[in-house]
Amino acid sequence: MIFATETGLKKHRVDWVLFLSALLLLAIGTIAVFSSVAVLPQQARIIRVQLTAIPLALLVFGAAWSLNYQVYQDQWKFVYGLLLLFLAGVLFFGVVDKGARSWYRLPFFSIQPSEFARVGLILVLANFLDKRIGKIRELRTVVGAFALCVPVFLLLIKQPDFSAILITFPVALIMLFAAGASLFHLSIIIGYAFISGLFPVLWSIISLNPELMDNSLVSYFFHLSDSLLSAGLFVAAVVFGFWLLWRLSVQLYANVSGLYFTGAAIVLILGFFSGVMVKNQMKDYQQKRLEVFLSPETDPRGAGYNLLQARIAIGSGGILGRGIFSGTQSRLGFVPERHTDFILAVVGEEMGFWGMALVTGLYALLMRRLMQGARLARDRFGYLVNCGIFGMFLVYFCINFGMLLGLAPVAGVPLPLVSYGGSNLVATLMALGIAESVYARRYALV
Amino acid sequence: MMDRQIPEERLALLGILAWTAAVVFILRLVNLQVIGGAHYLEIAEKNRTQIISQAAPRGRIFSADQAAIATSRPSFSLIYFPGQVKAGPETDRMARALAKPLRADYEELRRTIYKAATREKPVRLAENLPPKIMLALSELKAVYPGVDIIVEARRHYPFGAYLSHLVGYIGKMDARDWAARARDKNYSMDARLGKAGLEKMFERELKGKDGGIYLEVDSRGKLNRVLESRKWVPGADIFLTIDSKAQAAAEAGLQKSATGKGAVVALDPRTGAVLAFVSMPDYDPNMFVMSGSEKQGLEAGQILPEFNVALQGTYPPGSIFKIVTSAALLEGGRVNPDEKVLCPGYYDAGSRVFKCWDKKGHGRVAFIEGLARSCDVYYYVNGQRAGPLAIEKYSRAFRLGLPTGIALPDERSGNVFGPSARAAKKSYWFIGDTLNLAIGQGETLMTPIQAAGMIAAVANGGIFHRPYYVDRIVRADGQQLLKNKPEEVSRVKLKDSTWALIRAGLGSVVSEGTGQAAKLAGVEIYGKTGTAQNPHGKDHAWFVAYASIAGQPSRVAVAVLVEHGEHGSSAAAPIARSVIEAVLRADLPKAPPAAAPVAPVAPAEKSTAAPAGVTA
Repeated sequence: MIFATETGLKKHRVDWVLFLSALLLLAIGTIAVFSSVAVLPQQARIIRVQLTAIPLALLVFGAAWSLNYQVYQDQWKFVYGLLLLFLAGVLFFGVVDKGARSWYRLPFFSIQPSEFARVGLILVLANFLDKRIGKIRELRTVVGAFALCVPVFLLLIKQPDFSAILITFPVALIMLFAAGASLFHLSIIIGYAFISGLFPVLWSIISLNPELMDNSLVSYFFHLSDSLLSAGLFVAAVVFGFWLLWRLSVQLYANVSGLYFTGAAIVLILGFFSGVMVKNQMKDYQQKRLEVFLSPETDPRGAGYNLLQARIAIGSGGILGRGIFSGTQSRLGFVPERHTDFILAVVGEEMGFWGMALVTGLYALLMRRLMQGARLARDRFGYLVNCGIFGMFLVYFCINFGMLLGLAPVAGVPLPLVSYGGSNLVATLMALGIAESVYARRYALV
Repeated sequence: MMDRQIPEERLALLGILAWTAAVVFILRLVNLQVIGGAHYLEIAEKNRTQIISQAAPRGRIFSADQAAIATSRPSFSLIYFPGQVKAGPETDRMARALAKPLRADYEELRRTIYKAATREKPVRLAENLPPKIMLALSELKAVYPGVDIIVEARRHYPFGAYLSHLVGYIGKMDARDWAARARDKNYSMDARLGKAGLEKMFERELKGKDGGIYLEVDSRGKLNRVLESRKWVPGADIFLTIDSKAQAAAEAGLQKSATGKGAVVALDPRTGAVLAFVSMPDYDPNMFVMSGSEKQGLEAGQILPEFNVALQGTYPPGSIFKIVTSAALLEGGRVNPDEKVLCPGYYDAGSRVFKCWDKKGHGRVAFIEGLARSCDVYYYVNGQRAGPLAIEKYSRAFRLGLPTGIALPDERSGNVFGPSARAAKKSYWFIGDTLNLAIGQGETLMTPIQAAGMIAAVANGGIFHRPYYVDRIVRADGQQLLKNKPEEVSRVKLKDSTWALIRAGLGSVVSEGTGQAAKLAGVEIYGKTGTAQNPHGKDHAWFVAYASIAGQPSRVAVAVLVEHGEHGSSAAAPIARSVIEAVLRADLPKAPPAAAPVAPVAPAEKSTAAPAGVTA
């Protein structure tokens, strides 16, 4: 592999649209953060962190930009090792905040390694997929890609930091998809994830509506996870059911490979077991969030209250907003987590529809430029890296907006560039710097 | 270089995914912010503001002589502001500390405070605090944050049960009031409003505009800053035509009467203005504004006598109806007022013997004496001569069976008795009916206010005014909202000689006849007693009268009904006298009332004095 340090980046080598839209988002976000923390006791600390994080992040952005991205591919083992080391280290040396041991406390600031792990994993996955591109349609490649993710996920669960997994898993899928992985394999994985999520959701719905338990089948389904015996019965029933279906299709001379039935049965059974695992692993507050999303009116003063207040904040902004530094909902503390996950409530309240439309538009522009960068990349590694970064922004965008607008459950996911969060900001700008590096080196110069 | 083989269609799909998400979010934002903006803004405003409303003082009600009948006076309320203390043991302790000085039930107080603390809404813990408690509370106020004492304007009726049937009372809003005023921002959930009488009728004018302290609070209910402090605007004052002294005299008189039940209505014959209006039993409107602790031992709802005797009580007029019969006799021309009729104490109608009220008989009586001594036989004989149809005609002319039109709810109109009324019921008319009709018994029914209207018409020469009791309504800034003017409803046309004779007869009722108890020095009083037969118990006593000072038009006409008072002469006439005395007090000679001489009035004077009552 050839790479060379380059000096003197020329003007046409900079994606100004990407850079400026990121800066504009950062400006909007900083104003919103300052406004939202104006009456908080930890105001001084938050402003200080934000003001140190911005130059630091821009520095990291510049460094990532000037460094040839191909170095990550060359040194992928180092990247991966460093990533796992930091994630493992935080379990021993990290401090606990809000129930998760996910921070390194340094003399002047704290670092959240999981933010950087996201970016690192994109690089590692891009390298892996690039190397295996000839065998991309084989199941082994897909499994291998996830095998690379699994140690990271396990370390994240240990913290626990579910929202990092929530972001990384779809990003991995998007990268596989962009690399050209078999749709059948991808749908098996999506189906597996879907089923392992579906079981806890169904159980939640049943426990929310106890009258459904009158039906004995529903009641049986609800108690599936209670004992090994009933779980075993369920597995046997699934295997038998799919065997019957297969026999039936053979009888009907339908030309369906038995592989599909086997695959479906395995996905269903595996999904069931991981569903049980998810259910048992879910913390109370996570269970609550899920229930609130499923039926918001159950607890208007509790977890649903936050979401409702955030929605009131956004709605009350109207078209023009209530003016910067004059949103009552967020400033008087009706909106929770207003400088992080719910920063959009502040933007919506104080800057109105135009502010929100601007943020949405800038995000769309950013994603468009990242995709453009992927198309123009000089090699497949660059292409995959850019796709991963694009996927990361897409997932953040969907989950954060969707949560605030009531289209997705509350997940505790910030909005990069807009939300407060030093590590997140640095990691995000690092990712954008890498994307700029891919763009800048799109011509095969050396 | 490597070949990249970019799967374009897959990238396009991802691009579409991103764009779709952006478009969906924008649409949702349009829905939330552009369409629902105003709605959410209102919620957000409600979220952050808490209002301690301060009720504006209601407009006062004054009598014609500037006596305050209803006023507002400052009252102190204890309010609790949640926020600083979380609901729990802390608030329980506060409830226990407050329960003792307030003499309130601890459990109830605890629940109120707990609810207020969890809902983060301020609440009134006690109202109308007596000064004694205030001291103890102001000490507790320093210990328990959130507890505060505020001043509010509270309705007060200085005279207590005075004019209560006219003034009405105020009370807390019930569900129906609340539904009717849900959109009215001027009414808070705990507002009080007029429930009856003037208080209800002029609610809008009396209410005023509530003030309030608008506070900005944060999500924990903690006070952030005072947004605005709005001063209240007091309600408009109502000036009544009621003469406070006459009203007091009427109430005292009726109170002292045998049963203490009945009605007094005094009108100004020149205008129809109500000078006194009493209906007993009455109630003390202060009862309804009392706070919980004061109310102990009172079952307000149960003892409330809302029945307005003056307006809704219908009674046979008895002998006061002889005024109407007299008009019929004299106008018809079939009766010579000088012709004497022998009264042996009874009248034989053939099938039945009708008695005169005085069993000894009145001897030979002419018109004036017959009216003065209320001789039934005279009216039996001449009533037949004039004919029942004529009597019925004049009872209609004197507005029997028609409401007076006073602006009060549920006025009854009494009943007209006579051949055509009977015919309308498809029944027969007998001689005995004529005899009963002539002396005001039978089916004729009258309310006290109708009787007052009748005697006022005699005083002013036949004009019926619509009685009114609100003279004017004046806003706090001096603007006059309403000024009532006399309104003529109808007029009875009688010959001057008829009026003169009736007045002469009524004058001699007081001077030497049945109504001597109403005599008053220096005033010419014309009256008529009456006894309404009551098959269920003792008879009701009537007295109607008007009075004037020589040479002036009459200024007062009064009707008194004492339920179960038996005799108009003894039960009702003294009340009328004291009312007349109170109205004309300024023009009376300063003589000690006890020494009022029973001055005999020469019969010759009567006919000359009579026209004095006629207004121009």
